[in-house]
Amino acid sequence: MDGTLVFLGIESSCDDTAAAVVRDAPGGAEILSSVVEGQVALHAPFGGVVPEIAARAHAERIDHCIEAALAEAGLGLDALDGIAVTAGPGLIGGVLSGVMCAKGLAAATGLPLVGVNHLAGHALTPRLTDGLTYPYLMLLVSGGHCQFLTVSGPEDFTRLGGSIDDAPGEAFDKVAKLLGLPQPGGPAVEAEAMTGDPRRFALPRPLLDRPGCDLSFSGLKTAVLRARDGLLAAQGGLFRQDRADLCAGFQAAVTDVLAEKTRRALDLSAVPALAVAGGVAANSTIRAALERVCAERGVRFTAPPLRLCTDNAAMIAYAGIARFRADGRDGMDLSARPRWPLDSRSPALIGSGKKGAKA
Amino acid sequence: MRPDTILAFDTSAAHCAAALLSGEQIVAARLEPMEKGQAERLMLLLQDLLAGAGLGWGDLTALAVGTGPGNFTGIRISVAAARGLALGLGIPALGVTRLEALAHGLPRPLLVAEDARRGAIYVQGFGQEPRKPCLLTVDEAATLPPGAVTGSGAALLNRKALDPMPLAEAIAHVAAARLGDSPGADLPRPAPFYLRGADAAPPSDPPPVILDTVT
Repeated sequence: MDGTLVFLGIESSCDDTAAAVVRDAPGGAEILSSVVEGQVALHAPFGGVVPEIAARAHAERIDHCIEAALAEAGLGLDALDGIAVTAGPGLIGGVLSGVMCAKGLAAATGLPLVGVNHLAGHALTPRLTDGLTYPYLMLLVSGGHCQFLTVSGPEDFTRLGGSIDDAPGEAFDKVAKLLGLPQPGGPAVEAEAMTGDPRRFALPRPLLDRPGCDLSFSGLKTAVLRARDGLLAAQGGLFRQDRADLCAGFQAAVTDVLAEKTRRALDLSAVPALAVAGGVAANSTIRAALERVCAERGVRFTAPPLRLCTDNAAMIAYAGIARFRADGRDGMDLSARPRWPLDSRSPALIGSGKKGAKA
Repeated sequence: MRPDTILAFDTSAAHCAAALLSGEQIVAARLEPMEKGQAERLMLLLQDLLAGAGLGWGDLTALAVGTGPGNFTGIRISVAAARGLALGLGIPALGVTRLEALAHGLPRPLLVAEDARRGAIYVQGFGQEPRKPCLLTVDEAATLPPGAVTGSGAALLNRKALDPMPLAEAIAHVAAARLGDSPGADLPRPAPFYLRGADAAPPSDPPPVILDTVT
């Protein structure tokens, strides 16, 4: 499967509906268009993404996003070589809407259909944006995911560790909610933390006392809740400085944990480069700490630009092309999978019950 | 001129249903009961149905899809597929509600009552014109005036139901009539017809009072 390929990518696994067109030629890959329609306002009243509300929005937006992506690329469906769609892991209602729309489009046009693991999309993005060569270490930190992966090929991932409970982005959202800050919590908490004292509240650094690269953020969130409740009981509310200090303390704890675990992951994997992806990679304090760790170790640090770091469909189109070149394709019986670990060899992190590992 | 060929399908309940309408004639139809697996089965069933009739996707003039009310996920499976097919084929896709489909071909006035579970019924009255559909409790629906009824909700109201046309066939006919009424019109895309909210509650934990907020 050599030569130039142009793929449509479709993404709908969380709260962004996205479509993109990517051309991959021997000289390199190029994003011809990337349309992302977010749903922040729809979920804002609920303090978190509501799966049914997300699914409802995706079902009525995906085809519009596809049309917009084709128009932006200046291409018709006849210019495509294939259709790549996120088939999991994620919120199943949204994933299903994307998968079914992709199936309809593929059946109608006769184009090949390629189901893509959303995490593979993130994990392969540094190749698209920074031309990284295999192998490299990937730290994926978003609202729904947190893991360290050694990426050795388009379908060759080894998970070194990950969160055993909440993802850091989720913890940022919950802390924002606890403190009466707007969603999404990441930017709101980061902005508050700028004027806060990270040392005022002693917050835990979960799992640093244990070897390995696994992380935990649920207890940290609970510690913030306890500190908040202590202040509420003592003074009947929060002063803005309290809030800023709690945000700074929380952000410092997340940063310390991610930096130390990254150090360990680099020791384990011995690769020449680290790439971070996911919305949390946009946090400048966390990013600076990771850059310092890489500098200490003499490892190249890369982070795709934010629009390709957070959920998008260009990464799905690109990962779809990579899979297609390795003869990966799917039939009309392609399943949408809420749980789909990238690395099925390593022991499951979470959700190891009868439904299997989540990610 | 070749007659309009409309492919209709529905996965709004525990089934995959499809029918192919050519002109005024249903030329093929399938109903496969299934509790789950509609997303994996639907497209293959549609391909089989077309192939059995000696047709391909390119022979269709329009698509018709059941938009519910019914199983939320099931509704989206078909609506999303219909939108993808319509975009790829460059033909219109029409959404037909389950209530409109049930009423098709039955004498008026008519009450369509579908079991909505959790002690509720989806109802819509059809006189000269269709009335506004709504979600009622079984007790509320029991006070509706007597008359002809169809749908799975009739039993909950202790009323005898008229037999409706098979769902996918009725969806095809309703869509054909709508296409005939407005040839060449820019028809709205099919959208799920939930008739029931998303069941999301705002957070119960109120945000903390900020003591020094500038007002």
